[in-house]
Amino acid sequence: MSGFRDDRLAALKAKIATLEAGGRADSESLPFGAPEIDDCFLGGGLALGQWHEFTGAGMEVETAASPAAFAALVAAPLARRGEAVWVLRRDDLFAPGLAGLGFPAERLIQVCARDEAEALAITEDALATIGVAAVFAEVEAVDLTAGRRLQLACEKRGSTGFVIRRRPYGGQERKSASGSAAATRWKIAPAASEPGPGEFGLGPPRWRVELERCRGGRTGAWLMEAQTAFTWEAGHGPYPLRLVPELGDRQLAPAEPIRLSA
Amino acid sequence: MKGARRLAAVDKAARAAGLYTGQKVTDAMALVPELVTAEGEPEADAAALTALVDWAVRFSPAVAPDAPDGLFLDIAGVSHLWGGEAELMADFRARLAANGLHFRCAIADTPGAAWALAHHGKGMEIIAPPNGQADLLAYLPPAALRLEPQAAAQMERLGLRLLFQIIGLPRAPLARRFGKQTLIRLDQAMGRADEALTFRRPPHPWFARLAFFEPISALEDLQRVSFDVSAKLCARLEQEGQGAKRFVIAFHRLDGKAFPLAIGLSLAGRDPTRIAKLLAPKLETVDPGFGIDVVTLEAEGVEPVSGRQVRLDTGAEAAVEDGLAPLVDRLTNRLGEGRVWKSVPVASHVPEQSTRHAAPLKAVMGAGWNPEAPRPLRLFRQPEPLENVMALTPDDPPRQFQWRKRVHRVLQAEGPERIGAEWWRADIDKVSISHVRDYYRVEDQEGARFWVFREGLYSADAETRWWLHGVFG
Repeated sequence: MSGFRDDRLAALKAKIATLEAGGRADSESLPFGAPEIDDCFLGGGLALGQWHEFTGAGMEVETAASPAAFAALVAAPLARRGEAVWVLRRDDLFAPGLAGLGFPAERLIQVCARDEAEALAITEDALATIGVAAVFAEVEAVDLTAGRRLQLACEKRGSTGFVIRRRPYGGQERKSASGSAAATRWKIAPAASEPGPGEFGLGPPRWRVELERCRGGRTGAWLMEAQTAFTWEAGHGPYPLRLVPELGDRQLAPAEPIRLSA
Repeated sequence: MKGARRLAAVDKAARAAGLYTGQKVTDAMALVPELVTAEGEPEADAAALTALVDWAVRFSPAVAPDAPDGLFLDIAGVSHLWGGEAELMADFRARLAANGLHFRCAIADTPGAAWALAHHGKGMEIIAPPNGQADLLAYLPPAALRLEPQAAAQMERLGLRLLFQIIGLPRAPLARRFGKQTLIRLDQAMGRADEALTFRRPPHPWFARLAFFEPISALEDLQRVSFDVSAKLCARLEQEGQGAKRFVIAFHRLDGKAFPLAIGLSLAGRDPTRIAKLLAPKLETVDPGFGIDVVTLEAEGVEPVSGRQVRLDTGAEAAVEDGLAPLVDRLTNRLGEGRVWKSVPVASHVPEQSTRHAAPLKAVMGAGWNPEAPRPLRLFRQPEPLENVMALTPDDPPRQFQWRKRVHRVLQAEGPERIGAEWWRADIDKVSISHVRDYYRVEDQEGARFWVFREGLYSADAETRWWLHGVFG
């Protein structure tokens, strides 16, 4: 009896998943390489052919540096496969900084839009273009209609959208829409870095990552690190981000489990 | 011997002094110490010859350049317009002489014979009677046959100084000894073989025009005719294997005014649907007045485009021409030139000069940026001043600073990375230590990472100034 119910449930879940992937059965995903994170998603990784939202907090609402850095790192394997387009409203993205993180910045096409509506329209246009694998959009907010349009554009060619929420400098806070068509919503905040033992200065950049919403999956919060950033190995590994284990004090973590003598 | 500078041309006085073309400049200078030389300009000479060929069309429609310094004129059927071959030649030479050009001319049945007489014949004007070139050529040197240098040198060595000695020789041994080319040249001069000349082809403008019986003014009509005229021009472009990067359409109104609209393509193309689509949003700005009766389309930046533009399936590997190029064109035409770009590396230590905006579809070659020099993700166009900066000693990184009304306590810092102005770009007296920046990467209590710099070197009497140049993610 319960076996029958489980089968029905699994079949329904699979049906929902295909519906959400826009009728594509072969929906791909982009794994993080850490089971703690990948298990939160339906497909074992960040779903491709959808759009994802990245927000910042505090100062980052206006600079949006951490969300942009995190989104670029997540999308770096995609950008190496196809073309990438970055839609800006303010021309302050610095390509050498992206390259230092391991993003193939010398292939990135940057577009500076004049206003919010235009930025969204360009993003939609770029998402629906053959050969474009990832589109980054720096916009203030995506309402339900615009989000649905972005989703349709994503489904057209299977390209993935990375929406980075950013308020213009000195702009008033707009009431953000409660609902969103995004597949996932992330909140990215910078975290104190930790130089390696015996080194001084700053360690590899770290972020406190919060998966606030995940369609068909679970939410979570982690500390992540771009371990190869600003080295020659940047952009060479399979996973640009590493999960930093959360321990009370990492220095004191026991190397081996304590065994009680019999 | 290869790198030696040689004389490419000598004038009459120089020839009188014993100089000749192909002589080494050092030898010539030894002979004539007061020799004045000028650098040879083969490209300019070629351009001048092309201009001359274009001008010579007034005598005959078939003109072929003979690089580096001659031209062939096919005057079959045109000499009677001047009253005869002699009159034609006289007029030709007189007009050239009026422009300071003194040419040697010859008229013969074959281009080969005419070339031989013009270059080696006696006199400035030679007209060979029909079928009479053999007698005139008999006493010319073998070089008159436009032979390859080795063949000419070989003949010289064997004592064949004049053409009549060669004309009488058996053909087979002649070909074997001096090459087949020699025989072909001889036959061409004698009229036994044809010679194909590459005649000048007049440039045909990339232009299409449509005229209407009834003037049009509706927007839909404008859209339709803009497609029709594009299709007309693109058909011609496709036929000749060309594509264009810029199209200018002009709507000519009944009252004589014209409204030109231009679109640009990032890659040369010839797809009328694409061109019409790019033009469509701009058609609204056209004021048709009482109606438009003519529409013209002109293509600029025409260059060869290889192959037919193919459409691939969505599943297949996408080509740039299919997806990205039309996207870039749409965006560039909608937003303007400067709003779509690709950042390419520039070899400069100064952060704001280390990238340059390039065309979006440009292929990037060469070395990129050094990943080991940390650079911020967002670089401010103008560094922003920091207030209330506290540092332990003047050349320490800041411990605390205020930016945009917020106080940041620095917990970790890295640096300095000293970056100086590029003194070699400016005058030497403008170089100063105040153009030195000491960059630090600092992290505040929340983990936010900043790129700050101190301006200039520390000096006791000047206030130290700190700036924020960018934020890391």
